Amino acid sequence: MSNPDQHTRTTHARAGAPASAVPALTDCQAILRILALWQKQAARLITGIMLALMALGLGLVLMQASGLRLASSVLGEVVITTALLRWVGGGRIILRYAERLFAHDAMFRALADLRVWFFHSLAQGAAAGLGFRRAGDMLSRLVSDIGTLDGLYLRILIPFACACLTLPILVLQLGQQSVALAGVVGLLFACSAFLVPYLIARSGRAEGERLGKNLASLRIGVLDLVGGLREIRAFGAEGRILAHVQADDASLLAGQMRLARRAAYANASAFLCGQVAVFLVLLAAIGVFSLHVSPLAAVGILFLTVASFESAAALTRAGLQSGAMGAAARRVVEVAASTPETVQASTQTDAPEDTHIHLEDVKFRWAPDRPLVFDGLTLDIPQGARVAILGPSGVGKSSLAALLLKAAAPEAGSITLGGEEISHIRAASLRRRIAWLSQATHLFDDTIRANLLLGRPDATEEDLWTALEEAAVADVVRTLPDGLDTWLGEGGIKLSGGQGRRIALARTLLTQAPILILDEPATGLDAQTEQDFLRTLNNVTKGRTVILIAHRLTGVESLDRIWRLSGGLATAAAA
Amino acid sequence: MFASLAVRYKCLPMSGDKAAIRGWTRTQSRLGRQAARPVIIFGLLSSLLGVGQAWCVATVLGQGLIGFVSGAGAHPHDLWPVFAFAGLAFVRALIMALSDTAAAKAGINARRRLRGEVLASILTGGPALLRKTHSGELTTIAVDRVEALDGFFARWVPASILWFAAPLLILVPVCFVQPHAALILGLCGAAVPFGQAVFGIGAAVASRNQFLAMTRLQARFLDRVKGIATIVLAGRADEETQRLGQAADELRQRTMKVLRVAFLSSASIDCAMVLALVVIAITDARQAMALLSGGASPALAATLTGGLFVLLVVPEFFAPLRSMALAYQDRAHAQGAATAILDLPAPAPRPSPEGARTVNASGVTISLEDVCFTWDPARGPALDHISFTVPAGETVILAGPSGSGKSTIMELLLGFIQPDSGSVRLNGAPLESIVPDALSRMVSWIGQKPVLFAGTLKDNILFARPDADEDDLMAAVKAAAVDQFLPSLPEGLETRIGEGGFGLSGGQAQRIAIARAYLKNAPILLLDEPTAHLDPATEKSVFESLQRLALRRTVVLATHSAAAHMFNGRRVDLQSGCVVARQGVA
Repeated sequence: MSNPDQHTRTTHARAGAPASAVPALTDCQAILRILALWQKQAARLITGIMLALMALGLGLVLMQASGLRLASSVLGEVVITTALLRWVGGGRIILRYAERLFAHDAMFRALADLRVWFFHSLAQGAAAGLGFRRAGDMLSRLVSDIGTLDGLYLRILIPFACACLTLPILVLQLGQQSVALAGVVGLLFACSAFLVPYLIARSGRAEGERLGKNLASLRIGVLDLVGGLREIRAFGAEGRILAHVQADDASLLAGQMRLARRAAYANASAFLCGQVAVFLVLLAAIGVFSLHVSPLAAVGILFLTVASFESAAALTRAGLQSGAMGAAARRVVEVAASTPETVQASTQTDAPEDTHIHLEDVKFRWAPDRPLVFDGLTLDIPQGARVAILGPSGVGKSSLAALLLKAAAPEAGSITLGGEEISHIRAASLRRRIAWLSQATHLFDDTIRANLLLGRPDATEEDLWTALEEAAVADVVRTLPDGLDTWLGEGGIKLSGGQGRRIALARTLLTQAPILILDEPATGLDAQTEQDFLRTLNNVTKGRTVILIAHRLTGVESLDRIWRLSGGLATAAAA
Repeated sequence: MFASLAVRYKCLPMSGDKAAIRGWTRTQSRLGRQAARPVIIFGLLSSLLGVGQAWCVATVLGQGLIGFVSGAGAHPHDLWPVFAFAGLAFVRALIMALSDTAAAKAGINARRRLRGEVLASILTGGPALLRKTHSGELTTIAVDRVEALDGFFARWVPASILWFAAPLLILVPVCFVQPHAALILGLCGAAVPFGQAVFGIGAAVASRNQFLAMTRLQARFLDRVKGIATIVLAGRADEETQRLGQAADELRQRTMKVLRVAFLSSASIDCAMVLALVVIAITDARQAMALLSGGASPALAATLTGGLFVLLVVPEFFAPLRSMALAYQDRAHAQGAATAILDLPAPAPRPSPEGARTVNASGVTISLEDVCFTWDPARGPALDHISFTVPAGETVILAGPSGSGKSTIMELLLGFIQPDSGSVRLNGAPLESIVPDALSRMVSWIGQKPVLFAGTLKDNILFARPDADEDDLMAAVKAAAVDQFLPSLPEGLETRIGEGGFGLSGGQAQRIAIARAYLKNAPILLLDEPTAHLDPATEKSVFESLQRLALRRTVVLATHSAAAHMFNGRRVDLQSGCVVARQGVA
């Protein structure tokens, strides 16, 4: 039995909303959490940064050396040799290439780790419940969030590290000539590299959030337009809907324009900082304001100043992106962080052989602010029984499946399998005993074969065809040009809804789980096929416990017990 | 394995489509260039100002060095170049800000135009489009694909002009100051496009080889995450996690193969720039050394100032080339978007056929004469010589298993598709000769699951007729029995529903569809399995409402529900696109 706090966390994460029970993370904390996850790649990531620093250093030296080489010639001496210049130049090219290659490789490794971690945490935690709520869109947004995070290392961390190195070099070099000049130029550099990006990041955050909302409402508008094409055509509403979507589009674009304008001014001010620095160096070279610098040194520091400020320009862009990056990190960390089940892992056992299911006085609701789905539900399903649970949609039939599979936890009451509390049974072990065909069962963008093998990875060709035969879809698969190797496409779109459901059913039948929960398995079948199919089901599931969830019976099912769900209770109906 | 890959990717552009994509990109570039003209002009101005600044700096430093050489420590310095530098810096900052803003504006205007076009295309394609393309995919094209085109218009289009115009412009003053330096710069600059082309082609070849695998692996992650509940509940989480890790690693290796070549192209710019810097520094230094023997001559001053000037100009010279290399990926995005956008139908308004007309709206007789229709030749005809008639004010029930052609007939009657042969007539007039607006005024349609738009309940009902007054609205609400569940909603008719709003049950949603149909009050009523997702009790009450709605209208009801016998009408049984039985005189 999980405690109420855990329960809150699970349901909230499932709904995709920021969990109120989990202290809200700041962007900064979320980014630190992501960085902590990248520890395994730390060596590579740091090497990438080192290479970037070295490449930058050589870049600064190259610019300075070229200037000095020319300037020193008037003194009749060669301060910078041709060979040195060549080495610095060649080194700069090679280091820059190596840096790019290495940094990208490290970043892809880190992203791969992040993806695997994200998937793993989802699978450990709230994920099971996702099938009961349509959260596909939220998930795809999270997937693109992970993609966004590639900028964290390449576009923020590396330029930041480079700026941190440039500042002391610049100040030290200038300091040898004039401390006052070094101080002022250092300050200007800090303004350009740190202050302006920070300010633009801060001011961009509010605007960024608004942009996010505008983009979301545009997306909803377009989804409505696309999903409602039939309604729109049937009601002749093309013009009205288009105007509506374009209004959303206009407010998004206006927001982007505001942000772009602000970014343009930030860029210009960062540029001006650099120009003021060069201006001061020039004044020093002339000897104004008692800032006296020798002409040769003036050439060196001038070239250095120009090159340094150029490298700082990348940080203004980083500041602009940091808001989006922080928000992406927050969403990814928050969703994946709610892993309530791992807490009890130590005390859990494997599922017993006996498959007698018993629910006693179960109370359940999806969220504290939602009404009770079950209020004292009691059910008894003996081993090998074939039972039906009936009720209109929305009465909690799917919630029952979620409870049995530990995708959700009851508020009160007990659920036992073979006499063992299921909260004490390891989820993975429990789920190996119970196969579930839900309304939202996902067909993967893969071959029919791969989809079926998810049910039983070691199934033979013959097993696959038997399962397809039993699910009354073998004929359809046989007519496909590639047979079992036909690619299903996203969400199984290459088959009709009914055919897709039957493939999913075949996958469920293929498992060797002793308990099958079939949630409306005959949806999308016509009356005759449905009856044939249910008759087949009577034969193929011999010896297994079958829990058939439906809103009505056709009369051909052979059942041991029938319950009707209503008002949070189950009442026995005639078998 | 390979066969299945081929099936999966047959939607990708084949060589025949490449010309279309190139054509699209070219058209967009032309349109983009007009919008990008201010960006290009500001960019050229900025380069010129940069050259001016370099001259100021070189003058100051040159004078200092010459003064140093001639031993005149207190050599009087001109102050004007310093202040000219500051003035130019100000103007340049302003121009940069203007240029950034203009670029953003170009990107925004182009996206507004393209999104409008894409939406128009989707509306033109209509529901038939949904058969080919997933609704999520269409949304992605209209929202994200178009959004990703920002870089193409804001960065790539101006960069594609500036990369040669700005360096050429910079070469002019350099040529006046130091012809030999201009030659070096020019040669190094000319090598860049060459290097870009060589490595760019290499990268393109590499990425073509990797593209399929990369797309597949990226899609795999998204797909697995979407189906995570299925994986977890099947107990396969660990295996899938492991496989995902392998896939991610493979993705990295393949991406790196492409990048290894792609980065060479930016390395070629680095290389050219370093070469220019080093060669100019060495040759000018050698020249200055040679002149030094003559003391602080004007020639030495010119060489020194000129040399410093050219060195300072080198980064300015290569900056536009660098921006082009950076913007190159924006061009790749555009090609990706072009593939998706070109798949959509042309955004033309549906042409009104010759002699288009409206049909007397009261009492419509529907007749199908020998209608054939095929969605996919591989699967055979969906409708095979179908004929039946629905007299005005009567009901025909289309019965048959899923896939027997019921929905296809509905789409024909809605005018979403046209028959391959035969004709659909309303009061004797061929359907395709009826003005689309007139047709949509005559027909009400209720499908399996009505789409509820994001908005209030009231907006959703008024969708059928936005200009309806309060009385009409309330009458429709009452007739469809929407008022029965209104008290359970937090804000009655003003409750927000649809995406992100209050969830309605299937029966409640269907009642809203019925209210829409009442409000619309059209003479033809098409019902496409309206109770497919409802339980028997709800089904019965929805059918009762539909019966009332059906009074005095011409109704086609497609269903395989046993409860359909509540409708006393004719019945047509379909199987695999053929009429297998008729009851009544259909």
